[in-house]
Amino acid sequence: MSHKSKYSYYVEDKALSTTDRPRKFLEAFAAVLRFGNYNLALDTYARVSAKCGRCAAACQLYETTHEIRDIPCHRSELLLRIYRRYFTRGGMMKARLTGGFTLTDEYLDQMAEEFYRCTACRRCKATCPFGIDHGLITHLARWLLAEVEVIPKALLVATREQLQGAGNTSAIPVPALKDTCEFLEEELMDIYHTKVKFPMDVEGAEYIFFPAVSDYLLEAETLMGNAAVMHVTNGSWTIGTGNYDGINYGLFYSDRMLERIVKNVVKEARRLKAKKVLVGECGHATRSAWYIPAFGGPDAPPVVNFMQYTAEQLRKGKIPFTDKRIEERVTYHDPCNVARAGKIVDEPREILRAICRDFVEMTPNGRDNYCCGGGGGTVSIDEIREFRTKKLGKRKADQIRDTGAKYLVSPCANCKKQLREVCEDNGLDNVEVVGLHDLVLKVIDFGVPEPSKSGAEDESATEKKE
Amino acid sequence: MEAWLEWARGPLFRAAFVFMILGLIRHVVLTLWEVSAMMRRAGDKAFPFSRIAKATVAWLFPLGQLKNRWYYGVMTIVFHVAIILVPIFLLGHIALWQRGLGISWPGLPNRWADLLTIVAVVTAVGCVLQRTVARDTRALARFQDYALPLIIAVPFVTGFLVMHPAMNPFGYEATMLAHVLSANLVLVLIPITKLNHCVLLPTTQLVSELSWHFPPDAGEKVGVALQKENETI
Repeated sequence: MSHKSKYSYYVEDKALSTTDRPRKFLEAFAAVLRFGNYNLALDTYARVSAKCGRCAAACQLYETTHEIRDIPCHRSELLLRIYRRYFTRGGMMKARLTGGFTLTDEYLDQMAEEFYRCTACRRCKATCPFGIDHGLITHLARWLLAEVEVIPKALLVATREQLQGAGNTSAIPVPALKDTCEFLEEELMDIYHTKVKFPMDVEGAEYIFFPAVSDYLLEAETLMGNAAVMHVTNGSWTIGTGNYDGINYGLFYSDRMLERIVKNVVKEARRLKAKKVLVGECGHATRSAWYIPAFGGPDAPPVVNFMQYTAEQLRKGKIPFTDKRIEERVTYHDPCNVARAGKIVDEPREILRAICRDFVEMTPNGRDNYCCGGGGGTVSIDEIREFRTKKLGKRKADQIRDTGAKYLVSPCANCKKQLREVCEDNGLDNVEVVGLHDLVLKVIDFGVPEPSKSGAEDESATEKKE
Repeated sequence: MEAWLEWARGPLFRAAFVFMILGLIRHVVLTLWEVSAMMRRAGDKAFPFSRIAKATVAWLFPLGQLKNRWYYGVMTIVFHVAIILVPIFLLGHIALWQRGLGISWPGLPNRWADLLTIVAVVTAVGCVLQRTVARDTRALARFQDYALPLIIAVPFVTGFLVMHPAMNPFGYEATMLAHVLSANLVLVLIPITKLNHCVLLPTTQLVSELSWHFPPDAGEKVGVALQKENETI
C-alpha cells in the first residue's frame, strides 16, 4: 500500500511507520559527512551565504508560484540549519546556551515536501555570487531523507526492480528486449530496405550501449536512429543482455543507490570487454554514467553520449544524408544534466543545423536553459503531474510557444515524457516532442535506390500522423 | 576622551586588526586543507579547473553578471568598490601606516575619497532599503543582513565628519572615537559573519564543483555505518 495523504507524492508504508526519525536522520547525516565529500560545501555555504535573493530571479518554480518556500536559498537553509546546529561547534554551543532549533518530525516532513519541489536543475547556481549549488543541497537532502525512508514510491519501485528484480527499471525481460530489437530491425528493413543490426552480447566491441531502458518501450524512432548511425558509420557496438538500462534514479535520491547502479554498468562493460560506455539519449543517465570514473576504479571505461558520437562522425563526414532535410521548424531543449555544466551543448546543434532547414533556438538556451520541469526524478511521479506541467513547466511551455516550432527535440527520456505532458497540459497541441536521432533517421542515406526509399518515407510519415 | 581615543586606535585597533587577519587566515587554511582532502578522496580526479577559474573570476569582477536584477547588481557592486577603496587608499590612513610601520602606497585624492565615502553610505542604506522592499529578500533576511551594511556605514559617516569639521555638529574627538570604534567593530565582524566572503569567495566555485566528485565507496561505507548494507530496497 502507499500513502499520499502526508506528502504530495506517494510513499510506501515504511515511510510512515518509521519511528525516531530525527535521530536516524542525524546518524545518517553524520555518516555521510564522515565518508562523503559534502562537508566543506555545507561549511562554506553556511558561512558565506549572503541571502541576496538572486537565485529567486533564476528559479522557474519561484517565478511561477511566488511562494517563499520555493526560493532556492530559502530551501537550502532547511538543511544548512541542521548542519549548523548539530555539526558545527558554534551551533552546538549556541544550542546549549539558548536552546533554539531542534530537529523534529514535522521539520523532516517540511523538508520532504520542499526538496521534491526542486528539480535540482542547478540554474540558480550560475546566478549565485558564491556559486552556492542548491542542486547539490537538494541532492544531499534527498539522500538523507531516503535514509529515514522518505522516497517517492515511483523512484523506489523502479530502483528496486533494477537492483533486486528484473535488472532494469522498466522490468523488461531479456526475451522481450530481443523481440523488441528484432522488431526494430524489421521496421528498418521495411522502411529503409537496409539490414541494420542491434548487436547483442558481442565481446570486445568498442561501445556498449546503455539507453534509458524505457526507450525500448517508448522511443522506437530514437533507437532506430541510434542503430542507423552505427550502421552507416560501421560502428562497433553491442547491447549487453546482462544489463541494458542506463537509468539511475540513485542520482535523484540516494548516493548509495547511484553507486551500486553505476558499478553494475561497469560490471557489464567488463563482462563483454567493451572499451567504452555509450549512453543513449538521456540526460540523467549520461550524468550518472559520468560517475563511472569515480566508482569504477582506475581502468574504468570512458563514457560517450550518443550525440557526441554522432557529432564526431558527422565532423569526419562519415554520416551520409539524402537530399532531404527537415523542412518544419525545429527547436532544441537542453537537458539540464548534460548542458548545465556546459558539457554537451554544441554537439546537438551541429547535428541539427546539418539536418534541418529551420532550426531556431529557445531563449534562454544552452547552459542557461530552463529545466523541462520534470528534472530530479519528479517526472516519474505521476501524481504531481499538474504541479509539474502547470507550475514547474510553465516557463518551458512559454519558451516552446515562442519558438513556433513543430518539432521539439529533446535528447532525454525524462525531458521527453515531461515535455509531452507540458505540451498537452498547456495547449501546445501542434508540437511534436522527438529525440535527436528520430530526426537524423529521417534524412540518413542508407545508400539504397531513391524511389523505393522516398515512398517508404512518405509511408512512415503517414503512419506517424495516425 | 583623548586617552580613550589613544586606546581605541592603539591597542584596541591592533587587537581587532590581528583578530581579523588571524580569523581570515584560519578560514583560508582550513578551506585549502579540506579542499586538498576532498581532491584526495575523490574517485574521479579529472577536475574541471578552467571552468572553475572562469566562474571564480567572473564573480570576483561581476560586471558581466548584471542581467539578473541589474539595479541590485549595480548597487552592490558600487557599494563594494567604495568600501574597499576608501579605507585602504585614504591618504590619512596611509599616513598612519607610514607612521606606525613605515610602509606606504599611493593614495586616493581626498576629493575622490569624499565622493566614494558618500557613495558608500548611500549604497549601504540603499542595500538595506532594497532588501526591505523586495518580498523575497525580505523573507530570506537574517538580522545580520540588515545590521551589517548599517554597521559598515558608521565608520564612513563618522570618517566623513572628521574630514569636514565645518559640517560636524559633534566634537572632533567624540566623532573620531566613534569612527575608530565602529571601524574596529567591523574588523572583528569580518571573520565571524558573512563578511568572511572577502577571503572565501575565491574558493566557493571550487568547493561547489569538488563536492560533486564523490569518493569511490562513500555510499557503501555509509550503508555499512548505518548497518544497511544487506537491507533489501
